[in-house]
Amino acid sequence: MDVLTRNNVVEHGSRDAQPMLFTHGFGCDQSMWRYVWPAFSKDHRVVLFDLVGFGNSDHSAWDPNQYASLEGYAEDVLEICRELDLTDVVFVGHSVSSMIGVLAAAAEPNRFGRLVLIGPSPRYIDDQDYVGGFTREDIDGLLESMESNYLGWSSTMAPVIMGNDDRPALSEELTNSFCRTDPEIAAHFARVTFLSDNREDLARVATPSLVLQCAHDAIAPEAVGAYVHDRLPNSSYVALNATGHCPNLSAPEETVASIKAFLSE
Amino acid sequence: MTREPDLSEEAAEDLFEDAPCGHVSTRLDGTIVRVNRTFEELTGLARGELVEARRFQDLLSPGGRIYYETHYAPLLHMQESVRAVAVEIVRADGSRMPALINSTLRRGDAGRPGMVWTSVFDATDRRGYEDELLRARKREQEVGRRLQRSLLSGALPSADGFELDVVYRPAESGMEVGGDWFDAFWIDDGGTIALVVGDVVGHGIDAAATMGQVRSAVRALVSTGLTPAALLERLDEYAWRHEVAKMCTLIFAELSLRAGVLRFASAGHPPPLLAIPGQEPRFAWGGRSAPLDAYGFDGNRDEATESLPPGSTILLYTDGLVEQRSKPLDDGMERLRSTVGADGSDTVSVLLGRLIRGLPDQEHRDDVCVLGARLAPVN
Repeated sequence: MDVLTRNNVVEHGSRDAQPMLFTHGFGCDQSMWRYVWPAFSKDHRVVLFDLVGFGNSDHSAWDPNQYASLEGYAEDVLEICRELDLTDVVFVGHSVSSMIGVLAAAAEPNRFGRLVLIGPSPRYIDDQDYVGGFTREDIDGLLESMESNYLGWSSTMAPVIMGNDDRPALSEELTNSFCRTDPEIAAHFARVTFLSDNREDLARVATPSLVLQCAHDAIAPEAVGAYVHDRLPNSSYVALNATGHCPNLSAPEETVASIKAFLSE
Repeated sequence: MTREPDLSEEAAEDLFEDAPCGHVSTRLDGTIVRVNRTFEELTGLARGELVEARRFQDLLSPGGRIYYETHYAPLLHMQESVRAVAVEIVRADGSRMPALINSTLRRGDAGRPGMVWTSVFDATDRRGYEDELLRARKREQEVGRRLQRSLLSGALPSADGFELDVVYRPAESGMEVGGDWFDAFWIDDGGTIALVVGDVVGHGIDAAATMGQVRSAVRALVSTGLTPAALLERLDEYAWRHEVAKMCTLIFAELSLRAGVLRFASAGHPPPLLAIPGQEPRFAWGGRSAPLDAYGFDGNRDEATESLPPGSTILLYTDGLVEQRSKPLDDGMERLRSTVGADGSDTVSVLLGRLIRGLPDQEHRDDVCVLGARLAPVN
């Protein structure tokens, strides 16, 4: 299957410029970058995509075993890089995709020039001295929460969502449309994300990296961002004034400025 | 005389305070700046404990808080409104209230900070009903699995020196049951065994039921003494007449243990793999025609015959064994062929185990069924 269709790859900017690959996190799709990528399209080749199973990716390519760990998604990132022949890539990952970037860079270090990790966490669940911020019970609670939130996904809406419907007006009326996901896929990705442990992988990456940390981030608390910075050999750390887990949406100007400062270092 | 309703400012204030849903106004970071009386009642928390003291997401269960940060907040920023999302609000006494929430984001302009208005509806009863529906759906999946297991159980025929075994690995994850099935039984004369592997379209209880019907039909037709091709033709008729099993694939084979003859017909099913001692394993491409009750099929079935010396191994399998994600089918078939190899020293059971374990981990998306038979070697 064509990789670019599978991952709904969308490009902006100049093909000759340094590529920036934006990878969305758990929950939604590439529209998470809508307030950020335009600031880079003048000087970069901006590449956006949807993780398989999310947004407008090819849902039929989703496979619980291919994506049983974050490595499966990292492999897709590398496939996209190969397909577009991207080198010296600036990888920008939000949330769990920070670790997808870490895994991709560990596997093919020569492909990546820089990593920008927004709200990274190498492990969400507390483990002895390590404080990830959550317990196993909390994650079960999340799964329950997701079961009761199909976000507009039901059998009548599925054809529209999957793009098999010729009523575009209806598509536009869908509520919660950017974060709609097949509940089975969403629950699976939640499990993969929140039960992952990539602490040991951090030391494998020598790529210059930026950790962008928000205040009051319930998903990736400050101590976790500091841990990532501490273990990631060639990293710098910026504490944003933005609060929450999605500065790319809630504070795009500050996010853009921090990334630009890092890229000009 | 009826009195006009009071629409004064005072009444508007009452409407806000005692509305039939909780109202919360927050800053963009979730800090609560205003609540109504209904919200105080729903949460059991007084205004003073909420305003400037808590963020809205702090009131949610931990799982709900993750959901809020990863779905709700992003949606709110992208769409400026979110509707009917289910959360659990943790009350002052620690109890949890299932709630539905709607939010509207008011972007700040001219130096005014933005605000979020949220309405909170008690959804305790509704959630109870939804939980029942979810339980019913899970039960249905479980019934499908049990039905499938019951159809695929039972002892395999055995004979001196003859080996027969089967491995069945359902697709992983919480997906519904798939439609792979197999069967193996003596044909009346006692020297010939019927071997069947099939794949019905679809998943779940329907697939399991279809599988049961096709399996029974094959057993019934075998007893009438039809050749493999004629049996498939009758099965087409059955599928068409009873509107079951359209486009299902299967391979039906008769293996004569004494004569070492395999006679088979395939309805759109992957070819058998034959491993004859001293030769490279090969696929038997003969005897192929369209899937059951296929569109535009002329109805004439082919069959093929292979002479098999003692010690020969026959593998019938479903496409899950050879289909690989984004790779040509040929690759998977070549892998099967090389895994079986020319060396027949493994028992059939060991060989089947090796085939299943040799599948790359990501190949569990589909059911896999492999049936292996080996004629007794020369004494």
